[in-house]
Amino acid sequence: MRNLFAFIYRYRGFLVFLLLQICCAYLIVRNNSYHGAAFYNSANGYAGRVLEFQRQIADYFRLVEVNQALVNENRALKESLTNILTSDRLDSIPPTPDSTFRVKPDSLTLAQQRLDTTGIVRTFEFIPGKVIKHSVRLMNNHMLLNIGRLDGVEPDMGVVSGAGVIGRVKVVSKHYATIYSLLHSQMKTSAKVRRTNTEGTITWDGENPSEAVLDYIPRHIKLANGDTVVTSGYNALFPEGVMIGRVIAAGQEPDKMFLTVRVRLAVDFDNLTYVYVVKNNRRAERDSLEAVSGIKDNE
Amino acid sequence: MNRRTFRHIIQFFIFIALQILVVRNVVLFNTAFCYLYIAFLLFLPIQMPKVMLLLLAFITGITVDIFYDTVGINASACVLLAYLRPYVLLVLTPRDDYEKNDTVNLHVMGWRWFTVYALFLIFMHHLALFFLELGSFRAIGFTMAKVALSTFLTFIVLIIIQLLFFSIRRSSR
Repeated sequence: MRNLFAFIYRYRGFLVFLLLQICCAYLIVRNNSYHGAAFYNSANGYAGRVLEFQRQIADYFRLVEVNQALVNENRALKESLTNILTSDRLDSIPPTPDSTFRVKPDSLTLAQQRLDTTGIVRTFEFIPGKVIKHSVRLMNNHMLLNIGRLDGVEPDMGVVSGAGVIGRVKVVSKHYATIYSLLHSQMKTSAKVRRTNTEGTITWDGENPSEAVLDYIPRHIKLANGDTVVTSGYNALFPEGVMIGRVIAAGQEPDKMFLTVRVRLAVDFDNLTYVYVVKNNRRAERDSLEAVSGIKDNE
Repeated sequence: MNRRTFRHIIQFFIFIALQILVVRNVVLFNTAFCYLYIAFLLFLPIQMPKVMLLLLAFITGITVDIFYDTVGINASACVLLAYLRPYVLLVLTPRDDYEKNDTVNLHVMGWRWFTVYALFLIFMHHLALFFLELGSFRAIGFTMAKVALSTFLTFIVLIIIQLLFFSIRRSSR
C-alpha cells in the first residue's frame, strides 16, 4: 500500500496531467456532440456582461456604418411592403370594412389590418437582437446575441440579418444566446439555386470568411456565375427564399458525383450588428408530424 | 500572501483581460493569431510545483475558452504547455543552476535562454491548439502556416512586454 502511494506521489505530475487532459477531452467531445455544457460558453451571464461592455465601447466607432445599413434595410422593407399592397394577390381578397372610407389611411396600418383580417397567419416572427461578440477566423465560429429566453429565443431557431442568413441558435440563457455562425465547420444549411430550383447544402470549408461551398448540385445542372443561392425552406429554420449568396465558380471534377460550387456570401460577417432570430410558429406542429411519420432525420 | 504571489495574480487578470477585450480581434493576414494569455503561464516562478502549475494552466485555459466558445481546447493546450514547462526548464538550466528567486525575465536570463524557452513552449501550445480546433488532419498546410505565424506573433508580443514592463535588475525579493 505504501508503495502504491509512493508511486502515485512520484508520478503525480504525469497523473494530474493525464486527469486534466481527460477532463478537456470530455468537455470537447460533449460540446461538439450536442447542446450541453451550457455554462462553459459565452452565453453564461458573467461572460455575456463582459463582452457586452466591450461591444458598447467598440460600437461608438462604427455608428455611421450601422446607421447606413439600417437605412438600407428600411428602404428594402418599405419597397417590399409597397409591392405587397399593390400586388394582385391581396387585391383579390375581399375588401375590409376600412376600404369604405374615402380618406386614405396610413399604408402601414392598412397593410397590418389586411394581413390580420384576411386570415394570413404569420408563420414566421422576427426577434431583433444585437451581436455583442463574433469571430470569423476560427474553424468553428460563434456569435453572442444580447437577447435570450426572456425575449422568446429558443435553441435551434434560425438567425438572419437584413442581408441574408447568419446561422442557428445554439444555447440560450436568460438574457443571452450563442449562435452557430454560418462559418462553423459543422453548420449545414439547406439551400437552393433560385433560377434552376436545384436543392443543395451550404457548408463552410474554414478558409475564407466571405465564401462558402454549395454541395450536392447534380452534374447535369448548368450554373452561371452570379446565380442567386437562397434558403430552400425544406427545414423549419428559415423561411423560403432568404438570401445566402451568389455563385462565383462552378466546376466539374472528374472523380466527383456532384458539381463543386463556390458561393460568395451575401452577409459581410466582419461587420455585423443587428440581426433577427426567426421564430417559426408552426415549428412544433411540423416537427411532431415529421417525427410521427418517421422521416425526421437525426442531424 | 507575499508581494510576488500578488504580482502574479494581477498578471493573470491583466493578461486574460487583454486577450479577451483587445487581442481577440487581432488577426494578421487571416493566419497569424495572438494568444497573449499564455504569458501568464510562461512568466510564473521557475520553482513552481508541477501540480500547482497544471491546475493553474487548466483554470486559465477554461477561462479563455468560455469567451472563445471553444470548450476545452485552450485548456487542453495550456495543460500540455504546463506539463512540458518543467522539462524545458530542466534542459535549459544554467551552468551554476537557477537561483532561488529567479523569475522568467529576459534581462536576467539572457536572450538565448528566453528565446529557446518561449519559442518552444509557444509552438507546442499553438500546435496543440490549432489541431484540436481543426479536429482532424485535413488542411494540414494551412494549419501549419497558422501555427508558425501565430507562434512568431505571440513571441514578438511577449518580447515587447518583457522589454517594456520587466525590470532590468535581478529581483531580490
